[in-house]
Amino acid sequence: MVGDRVDYLSGVTIRTVLRAAAVTGATTGAVLLGSPAFAAHRDDGDDPGKGLSALETLLIFGVIPVALFLFIALLVSAPSIARGPRYRADRGWQGPPLLFGAPRDLQLPSGSSQSGGQAIEPAPGDSPSEPASEGGGASARW
Amino acid sequence: MLDGEVLTARQQDEINRAIDIAQRESGLTFTVYVGPAPDDLTAYARQLLAALPDPEQSVVVLVDPTRRLLEIVTGGFAARNLNDRACALAAAAMTSTFAAGDLSGGIASGVVLLGEQARHPRSLHLDQP
Repeated sequence: MVGDRVDYLSGVTIRTVLRAAAVTGATTGAVLLGSPAFAAHRDDGDDPGKGLSALETLLIFGVIPVALFLFIALLVSAPSIARGPRYRADRGWQGPPLLFGAPRDLQLPSGSSQSGGQAIEPAPGDSPSEPASEGGGASARW
Repeated sequence: MLDGEVLTARQQDEINRAIDIAQRESGLTFTVYVGPAPDDLTAYARQLLAALPDPEQSVVVLVDPTRRLLEIVTGGFAARNLNDRACALAAAAMTSTFAAGDLSGGIASGVVLLGEQARHPRSLHLDQP
């Protein structure tokens, strides 16, 4: 019983040590392989040329990436800018009302909100057919 | 801004096609209004119906996407073939599609549904108010 536990513990310890050694070894190997890149002395035949000035560095690593970013962002958003606002379910309706199936010369009735109940019931002489009294319908919200 | 920009041309075609189908199916005239509407939606829909050339045989579907309200009103003659239960059924179908974010699809399927519900056999002399 006690021996089993000791074996189990030592197994875990060995595995942990092996794992740590593998990670350390691999990292050290990679760094060693790349060490020529950190060399302070020149090899034969290499020609590093002149260094970049501060302005050139800023241009290449700052201005050009930002300009590219802005250009691509513009390419992405240009079509929707050109089209104007679209209906989105979470933003409501942005634009004038649309009518479908109505005659071209239809005059939209002015809203009844400012005249209260008066506009709901038209004057008797106004519409002789009085369709409002007979028709049906349904209301819903979502 | 042009009128046609809030819904794409394809979405508008979808609605127009649905209106054509419904009119052919039922013989009634369907008008769809989408956009901001006054506070009393029912009254406004009635006014819109009265402003149409043939209000008796017309059906107005009014959708206010901002306030998320839907109103269907039928003219006196149209109501004979398209009763309130059928309107409520279409309204339920439309609002469930609206809730999923599909405005034009909901309008189109609702209008087609209204046309199917209003379908009736042609009868001589009775199909004229």
